[in-house]
Amino acid sequence: MKESPNLIFHVLFLLLLISPSVFSWKKDEFRNCNQTPFCKRARSRKPGACNLIATEVSISDDGDLIAKLITKTPENNESQDPPVEVDSKPLLLTISVYQDGILRLKIDEDQSLNPPKKRFEVPDVIVDEFLSKKLYLQRISEEKIDNDLGFSSVVYLDGDYEGVLRHDPFEVFVRERGNGKRVLSINSNGLFDFEQLREKKEGDDWEERFRSHTDTRPYGPQSISFDVSFFGADIVSGIPEHATSLALKPTSGPGVEDGFSEPYRLFNLDVFEYLHESPFGLYGSIPFMFSHGKARGSSGFFWLNAAEMQIDVFGTGWNAGQDKIMMPVDEKRIDTLWMSEAGVVDAFFFVGPRPKDVIRQYTSVTGRPAMPQLFATAYHQCRWNYRDEEDVFGVDSKFDEHDIPYDVLWLDIEHTDGKRYFTWDKVLFPNPEEMQNKLAAKGRHMVTIVDPHIKRDDNYYIHKEASDNGYYVKDASNRDFDGWCWPGSSSYVDVVNPDIRSWWADKFSYGNYVGSTPSLYIWNDMNEPSVFNGPEVTMPRDALHFGGTEHRELHNAYGYYFHMATSNGLVKRENGKDRPFVLSRAFFPGTQRYGAVWTGDNTAEWDHLRVSVPMLLTLGLTGISFSGADVGGFFGNPEPDLLVRWYQLGAYYPFFRAHAHQDTKRREPWLFGERNTQLIREAIHTRYMFLPYFYTLFREANVTGTPVIRPLWMEFPADEETFSNDEAFMVGNGLLVQGVYTERAKHVSVYLPGDQSWYDLRNGATYKGGKRHKFEALEDSVPAFQRAGTIIPRKDRFRRSSTQMDKDPYTLVIALNSSKEAEGELYIDDGKSFNFENGAYIHRHFKFSNGKLTSSNAAPSGAGGNKFSLDCTVERIILLGLSPAPKSALIEPANQKVGIEMGPLTIRPGKSPSFATIRKPNVRIADNWTIKIL
Amino acid sequence: MNKKKKIGGLRRLFEISIVIIIGCICAITRSAAAAAAKDDQFLLLLGVSPQDEDYYKGLLSSPSSTIKCKDGSFKFSTSQLNDDFCDCPDASDEPGTSACPNGKFYCKNAGHIPFSLYSSRVNDGICDCCDGSDEYDGKVKCPNTCWEAGKVARERLKMKIATYQQGVTVRNRLVEQAKLAIAKEEAELSKLKNEEKILKGLVEQLQERKEQIEKAEEKERLQKEKEDKERKETEEANLKEKQNGEQVESSEADALKNDIHDKIGEQVESSEADALKNEMHDKIGLLGDSSSSQDVMEGHGDSESEAQHGEFDVKEESPIGDVKPLQEDSLLHATEKEEQLTVDGQPGLDTGNQAEVEEDNSESLSKEELGRLVASRWTGEKTEPQTQEVSSAKDKNHGTEEEDAYGEEYSGYDSEEDEHRYDNNDDGDNEDQMDDFGGEDHDDSSPSYKSESDDEPDLPAEPSWLEKIQKSVRRIFQAVTFFQTPVDKSEAARVRKEYDESSAKLSKLQSRISSLTHKLKHDFGREKEFYSFYGQCFENKQNKYVYKICPFKQASQVEGHSTTRLGSWEKFEDSYKVMQFLNGDKCWNGPDRSMKVKLRCGLNNEVTDVDEPSRCEYLALLSTPAVCVEEKLKELQDKLDMMNKEQPTSHDEL
Repeated sequence: MKESPNLIFHVLFLLLLISPSVFSWKKDEFRNCNQTPFCKRARSRKPGACNLIATEVSISDDGDLIAKLITKTPENNESQDPPVEVDSKPLLLTISVYQDGILRLKIDEDQSLNPPKKRFEVPDVIVDEFLSKKLYLQRISEEKIDNDLGFSSVVYLDGDYEGVLRHDPFEVFVRERGNGKRVLSINSNGLFDFEQLREKKEGDDWEERFRSHTDTRPYGPQSISFDVSFFGADIVSGIPEHATSLALKPTSGPGVEDGFSEPYRLFNLDVFEYLHESPFGLYGSIPFMFSHGKARGSSGFFWLNAAEMQIDVFGTGWNAGQDKIMMPVDEKRIDTLWMSEAGVVDAFFFVGPRPKDVIRQYTSVTGRPAMPQLFATAYHQCRWNYRDEEDVFGVDSKFDEHDIPYDVLWLDIEHTDGKRYFTWDKVLFPNPEEMQNKLAAKGRHMVTIVDPHIKRDDNYYIHKEASDNGYYVKDASNRDFDGWCWPGSSSYVDVVNPDIRSWWADKFSYGNYVGSTPSLYIWNDMNEPSVFNGPEVTMPRDALHFGGTEHRELHNAYGYYFHMATSNGLVKRENGKDRPFVLSRAFFPGTQRYGAVWTGDNTAEWDHLRVSVPMLLTLGLTGISFSGADVGGFFGNPEPDLLVRWYQLGAYYPFFRAHAHQDTKRREPWLFGERNTQLIREAIHTRYMFLPYFYTLFREANVTGTPVIRPLWMEFPADEETFSNDEAFMVGNGLLVQGVYTERAKHVSVYLPGDQSWYDLRNGATYKGGKRHKFEALEDSVPAFQRAGTIIPRKDRFRRSSTQMDKDPYTLVIALNSSKEAEGELYIDDGKSFNFENGAYIHRHFKFSNGKLTSSNAAPSGAGGNKFSLDCTVERIILLGLSPAPKSALIEPANQKVGIEMGPLTIRPGKSPSFATIRKPNVRIADNWTIKIL
Repeated sequence: MNKKKKIGGLRRLFEISIVIIIGCICAITRSAAAAAAKDDQFLLLLGVSPQDEDYYKGLLSSPSSTIKCKDGSFKFSTSQLNDDFCDCPDASDEPGTSACPNGKFYCKNAGHIPFSLYSSRVNDGICDCCDGSDEYDGKVKCPNTCWEAGKVARERLKMKIATYQQGVTVRNRLVEQAKLAIAKEEAELSKLKNEEKILKGLVEQLQERKEQIEKAEEKERLQKEKEDKERKETEEANLKEKQNGEQVESSEADALKNDIHDKIGEQVESSEADALKNEMHDKIGLLGDSSSSQDVMEGHGDSESEAQHGEFDVKEESPIGDVKPLQEDSLLHATEKEEQLTVDGQPGLDTGNQAEVEEDNSESLSKEELGRLVASRWTGEKTEPQTQEVSSAKDKNHGTEEEDAYGEEYSGYDSEEDEHRYDNNDDGDNEDQMDDFGGEDHDDSSPSYKSESDDEPDLPAEPSWLEKIQKSVRRIFQAVTFFQTPVDKSEAARVRKEYDESSAKLSKLQSRISSLTHKLKHDFGREKEFYSFYGQCFENKQNKYVYKICPFKQASQVEGHSTTRLGSWEKFEDSYKVMQFLNGDKCWNGPDRSMKVKLRCGLNNEVTDVDEPSRCEYLALLSTPAVCVEEKLKELQDKLDMMNKEQPTSHDEL
């Protein structure tokens, strides 16, 4: 009583003060462009400011075009400007050409001129296979274009494309052979700038201050910026991660919307409660921009650079009135400005021309998405935190009780002993192996979290080893960097070093990770890295990595290397026999090779449900196919309506996981009354039903890079109506899904593209393509349609988890187009091992035409020595668009007659329209066969 | 003997069924399957529950007969029954396979409890039925464990029945006692109300009389004052100077106090703070009242004091003065602290932690503090260790606040302290003790409590107390001659004393009435079986926490000296199987704390488990005879009978 009352008032008073701002984004905590000197400088440059010209153009011994970029000597010194402080040393320019129409441009300082330091080039992103696809240039042809004074050097790129280096003014572009139309270019607006490293002179103040943090910047300014133009583009997209629309809005020039006056930032950050409409940078960065236009198709530009990047998209007419424009003005194009704090120019031009070509070209550089295990493509149940073993068993058995399948149960940070990863809280999880085995007996898996911050505790073996071996990232004064994260004082493993990655990978062996079993997989969170007391909640830019590389040079790739090390650890623990599953929050080009990502800490709001679609589509466009958003929203408590809609949409996310903050109310599917339980069960069932289709799509991504979920324009590249549509998406080429994004929606308007019709998944009703339709918003699912002309494989039986479905028979849904034809594929393997890489898989091609369904082998002949066999049969074939319904069909070569009856499109209680259904053909899925409609 | 045969037969049929079902999967033609099916009805009815056998009867006559799906949507024939293809969306054609997503598979589980599984469990490679009947495709071998499992289940059931049997008896007794006790209390209440009416009348009379006397006295005093005026003038001059000085001081203090109160009013909106503020006011009031009345009483006995009436003001104030230093002290102290904190910046601000503050000050925060601060955003936790101090201080205060508030409500009679004594007294018989008005020793040392409880024996111990008062009042009125001057001093004192005593008694009476009314308003259950919960608390220790559940009052979590309120009594839910406590202390970044207490039949009142399934939403299990209802006992017995019936007589053959 003595002293407490006032203390309470004091606290209450402060809490009152604070509460309004608790749920808002901490904008002040992060730098804007004006507070970021390199960005401010680059943004203020005027078009044509670049005074570099290309000289000494030749072909190198490596078959590359090489040249020097030198400062143009002002011939007629009419300019009143004082001589600008110049980076007078020549820069080295290299153009290399690779198969499939890929041009690579590198610009760096000339090492023979002894710069103070070698600038950082990001290792381990470009796959070796790509390097082997280099074309050795034979010759350079010179020509004059656009009344230039100087020459342009032209090189072969592809049968249809050429690469051009324009000497003066300096410009690099790709053009169509023959008509000379530009596809994409760099420095067409003369904004190129390259700050070369200098020795620090007396009086140079290179330090940068932000809030309480000081960046020592020992190497001074070293930024690079340039403009990139996409010709014939109606939209540009890509450069994740931002919570914004698929078609990027302009951030500079005319037509800039409120909240979009900052450039798109690429700087991996742990942003607390991010906004749903903002160019602000989130957890991952992929400096790869995708353009698409009706006129020409798609192209792509990728800058391999791991430093902070800022990218402006200019609104049309941004440079009106500027007299130094070098490009033809009549071109429909989108200009962009790329700015990076450090590194080199290492840029890739992808010519397309179809969207799927661009993604194939990009993933040939950075790698194709890994093939996930089957279980990982099913439903995941997560929460911060499933508190103890009892809680785990309780949740597990509730799923069974409600007949809701799930495959993976996740444990967040609280499962550890004091946030020491690889350990277990002995009170809450006394028998982790037994727990995992109990779930594994039902075919279920578990995931535990392992973050890169290591508790600085001498009794913690990881810390002991890491500090003894010098495995931590160092601060500017070369001591182990000490930051604050979940465990308190923490250090960060320097995973940039391959040896340290290897050491880290060993920590996942069953012997090292005590309490882990083969059914346990891993989640990497906080790997931006998140440092609670660091500048902008991350690591200081002057922290030092392996090889003396500054953190500023590789910041955006740190999480990628951590993800890589963890993923390699899971491969190692099973001697390369088991595909890893690692979810990461941070990402970088190449992440697709190591696992899944999710969109981080979203919020239980309709706007966040809505923005999840463009976010995931963008990830898919930039190579990361296996992605999802937290179903339900991480922060806050979703209304049942929102939660149900989120499940219905989330069931089509490539990565389908529900997750929630520890302060939220429990929200397992059965907690919102019987009706909502039923709706959520149905949503999850939908995912399980389509698992064979999803798995086939994951394989397609694995082979070609084409993402599992796609913008409509990827499938309908000529349909302009789809270009700005990011509320609907395609799952593969066969399903169109439209979310419901408002509370208690009565109607949903859906644009169905193309000239073929669409079949409503709920009732099989047909709708014309190329039109917008208004649908009643039914509560039992979001609108979803099968495209006429496709065949989709399903499994209609439900089990506890995907594991028990492996022997279940298939259903094929044939949606006939106007010429009564349809096609589809099915990929099957053991769902677990790497044997598929040696041919141990089944790949079927189904084609329906002339009243005959044919199943043929789609696997290339001689695809490795391994075989995968499977006894599964087809139990049902549904024919949509066939009327009047025939009575029977003949199976060949068995020469066996089967009946055709009328049946529903999906089996659910109650009456529903029925369709011609071939009942129990019982043909083996692995065999060649034909079924002829009689 | 008959039964034995049947079992053997079942096994044989079962094996056939396996063969045939596999046959179905392997796409034997429908007619072949039908022919095989015709052989045996058992096979057809695989997975059918006994209640449903009638529905399928129509199919058993011939392979070509058809019936409608249960939902009427489609038709299916004998050959389509359990042919591993879903023809009915409601699964009625596939009771024994996994072909329909909405089906149920009935396992007989002879020797144990029969059970209906989701069809998704059939032939999924996992043994679900203890008789193994759900896995018949040969992929896994499921041993029949029904006998063992059934034995355990039966034992458990028997024990449960035993508990219920005793529990029902206890409950019946509880119900009886509750009825009696409630009747008694209702009777008392009406008696008290009666008495209140009479006493009120008396007090009014006395008050009137007292006022008359005071008026007369005042007159006398004025007269006297006038006489004394000149005589005193010289002395007073000196005296006044002194007094003035004092008054200034005290008025300054008053201002400060008000200031602080205002501040509180502005800053704090939360009910907790309000309660606290009120409590402080009340405390002042209580202390003031009690001591001033004492003073007045003393004054009566002393006619001399009248002479020093000039000092009366001072004296009147003095009790408050006594209190004030205490009060001001703590407030001043706190204010100083607040200032200090603001000035010092860091630790104080960090205590309050979070956003705004941090925005302004994070520059000056140490790296570590900044880290904690940012972390706290995600966790919603306050940063240790400062936080712990704060929250424990807060908790502490809650504790006192509740007790005080509660004490007030019941002051004088069965004060809360009495109830606390029963905390561990789980015999369920204490309702009688509620009738006991005997003044007990209180743990509480607050003077206001003491004085009142000391008075208590007067009131209830003698049933004729009202008559006594009535008598003495009558005496007063008889003895007194109205408008007598000068006022008879001893008479005046008697009137005052009589008035004070009577009005004190009246207020006690009223408070007893209100507490009784309050109590009887509660929902004690359908048969008042929860009456005995009133005033009881049940405790459970989990690691470092002690959970305290006080039905009809509140639930709390005690850790060392700090108490967190998990909720105030709300109501029974789920037909008296759950007690709900709502609106507990706020969770930072979360909901207000709340607790549900599930009630289970048990012989003692005992909290068996406490859990926090969702952040700040607690769940406790309380076993109590109050929910051992007879119907449930019957249900359990029926279940046991059924298990025994299903039990194969010669299980060892299986």
